[in-house]
Amino acid sequence: MSDDPSARGYTLVVCEKPDAARRISEALADGVPSTVSVGGVTSFSIQRKGERYVVCAAQGHLYDVSDPFAERSIYPVFDVEWFPHDKVAKGDAVVSRRIGAIKILAKDADRFVNACDYDAEGETIGYNLLRYGCGGAERNALRAKFSTLTKEELVEAFEKASNSPRNGLANAGRARHVVDFVWGVNLSRVLSQSAMIASQKYRTVSVGRVQGPTLGFVVGKEIEIRTFVSRPYWAIRGLFEKDGTRFVASYTADRVYRRAEVEKIEGECVGKEGRVAGVTRNVFEYPPPPAFNTGDLQKEAYRHFRLSPSRTMQAAERLYLDALISYPRTSSQRLPASIGYRKILQAICSLKEYSNANELLEGTLEPVQGDMYDSAHPAIYPTGERPRRALGYPEAGLYDLIVRRFIAAFAPAAKREAVIVTVSVGGHRFKLGGRRTLVTGWLRYCGKYARPDETEIPTLGEGDLLRLLKIEHEEKFEPRPQRYNQSSLLEKMERENLGTKATRAEIISTLIARGYVHGESLIASDLGLAVIEVLKRHAPSILSTDLTRAVEERLERIESGIEDGRSLIRETVKTISKQVAALRADEEAVGHDLSSAALATIAGQGTLGICPVCRTGKLRVIRSKKTHKRFVGCTNYSEGCRASAPLPQRGAIRPTNKVCAHCSWPIIYVGGGRLPWRLCVNASCPSKVSRKNAL
Amino acid sequence: MRCKLCAREAVSDLCRYHEEAKGQVEAAYRLWKEAYGTLGWEDYLREVIKNPETGEWAVEVARLMRASSARGSAAASSS
Repeated sequence: MSDDPSARGYTLVVCEKPDAARRISEALADGVPSTVSVGGVTSFSIQRKGERYVVCAAQGHLYDVSDPFAERSIYPVFDVEWFPHDKVAKGDAVVSRRIGAIKILAKDADRFVNACDYDAEGETIGYNLLRYGCGGAERNALRAKFSTLTKEELVEAFEKASNSPRNGLANAGRARHVVDFVWGVNLSRVLSQSAMIASQKYRTVSVGRVQGPTLGFVVGKEIEIRTFVSRPYWAIRGLFEKDGTRFVASYTADRVYRRAEVEKIEGECVGKEGRVAGVTRNVFEYPPPPAFNTGDLQKEAYRHFRLSPSRTMQAAERLYLDALISYPRTSSQRLPASIGYRKILQAICSLKEYSNANELLEGTLEPVQGDMYDSAHPAIYPTGERPRRALGYPEAGLYDLIVRRFIAAFAPAAKREAVIVTVSVGGHRFKLGGRRTLVTGWLRYCGKYARPDETEIPTLGEGDLLRLLKIEHEEKFEPRPQRYNQSSLLEKMERENLGTKATRAEIISTLIARGYVHGESLIASDLGLAVIEVLKRHAPSILSTDLTRAVEERLERIESGIEDGRSLIRETVKTISKQVAALRADEEAVGHDLSSAALATIAGQGTLGICPVCRTGKLRVIRSKKTHKRFVGCTNYSEGCRASAPLPQRGAIRPTNKVCAHCSWPIIYVGGGRLPWRLCVNASCPSKVSRKNAL
Repeated sequence: MRCKLCAREAVSDLCRYHEEAKGQVEAAYRLWKEAYGTLGWEDYLREVIKNPETGEWAVEVARLMRASSARGSAAASSS
């Protein structure tokens, strides 16, 4: 049979990505796949059991929701349609070529198979491609469902491919896109236009259905931190001795909030003998964790490698496309027996670094199963296939983490012991303790990823008498709340049921890209603060987690086929109409608030440190309108502060966040590159005067 | 009118964030006095400013309060 693409009568297989298309072709082909080039886009042609297949690929979403006008001054917009991506993101030639190629290939196909990833996003990609790119083929296309790209699973998936006329996943995926678009475009346009009216400058101020409440979490924490005033307390410790062995015990209350009380306790203990009032020994089972779902993987990858959630998913996607792991977007913490536990473990244990797990193969294999379940895919597991290429950073570390977690799920529980000794002295109680592992169990397979605390167990018995050598206290201060990082924010979104496993990392990335938050500890910018302030004041329900959660629940119902997407979209239109109207009615105030934030952001940018003269303002870089030279001035100039200093006119200037030991003015870096030089901003700094005199 | 400490719109002479921080500084003074038994207002402000756990806006407000307290003392002693 000819491989000429113009020959009729073949099955067109649509995949989500070119790598997946290649894998699928290699798995299904009776021989070696041949490449087919149409319009500069490569697809694969194979023979399988006497039939011809052409395997083509999208490159993520080729179709997007947009409004026909795509004009940022027009809102509200509710008449939305699906358009080719290159019409929405103008001039994307790659997409345009790809859609063109698929349309040509579709003309001569007599059967279609959707082989995109089996989740809401994959279904949406496949559905749109078949409907718009392949002339309405979505109605009769077969669906191949698989969780790994191994040959075995792909062959089975294609043997079992079937048509399901009611496609809840696709309906839910498409409904989500429409709802998110209607929400995002209308709110973003009203905020951006309001800001433009107030400032005469256009700046995109975007907010989305999930983005809004998520930013709300970060901003709430930011306000808590920046307004925080700590509280002092004292920690009391006693140094005891018995038979030459010393023990440090902490006062039973971790925090004592009055110094007078500390002095009283110490006074009542000094010179007294301690007596062991009780020893509590607790031996407990420490069961292995279940195999990873998406959220758990992202959290652990952050904990061990400091990988952001989106970076983790990029690396996991690469491992999946290399057929090394199963599909990484899953809520499930369960491993069904159908994946073939023994075969996978045998393959993994043949690798030297995991060979100690061979002993697990001697018994029955029954993995610990987590609580969470996903109908589309199991938990993330290694396929047992050997990498065809050397894995670099961060894929190698991520793969190791996934493999060890998988192995651990089959291992016995560890056993740990915790001992707490209570010492009574002067009518007060002190405690000390220790923890150790009695049976390593699953811990031995997890290496550096699971190293629980091991502290010496005190060898004391009830009634033992101890000599009190010393009692001391340490003044401490309650720590301020911690900012979210990408991992803990993801966790917060999961707990609040905001977004999905596929979208949470992307939403966090969008908050960073829009300048609403920055840094590894996510710090809310002035613009982020202002957006939330404006929404709280003029359209508070947009920030409601209840509202967003309710939408997720409706989408789940659409996915299960209980309802279609139409009523959800109608209700979204109603909700957004009201919110846009409320914001529009207060357009001036909204724009003013957002512009103030931009001003505050600019005022914050270029500041070098606290003004040492007035001590309330900040020194910042100013450029003279007259001379165009830059210098340092205080933000309290209008309040009468005249602190100023000249600056070097060349070289980038950056704050060091340090002050000069001689005069307390800020020290700055001047110049870029590897060796910027440090300079005290104060032209009259004593250190400069003495250096000048020396010369 | 702008906040004395930043470019935001003021609700009194401070924006709502610095106003909130001011409330926190004032409320915490009672806890600090209880903790130490005796603590003057100026000493308290000095400690709050120095404390690395204090939030940025609370530090700014504490500085402002200390500066106006110092101006008040100077005015009182000169008259």
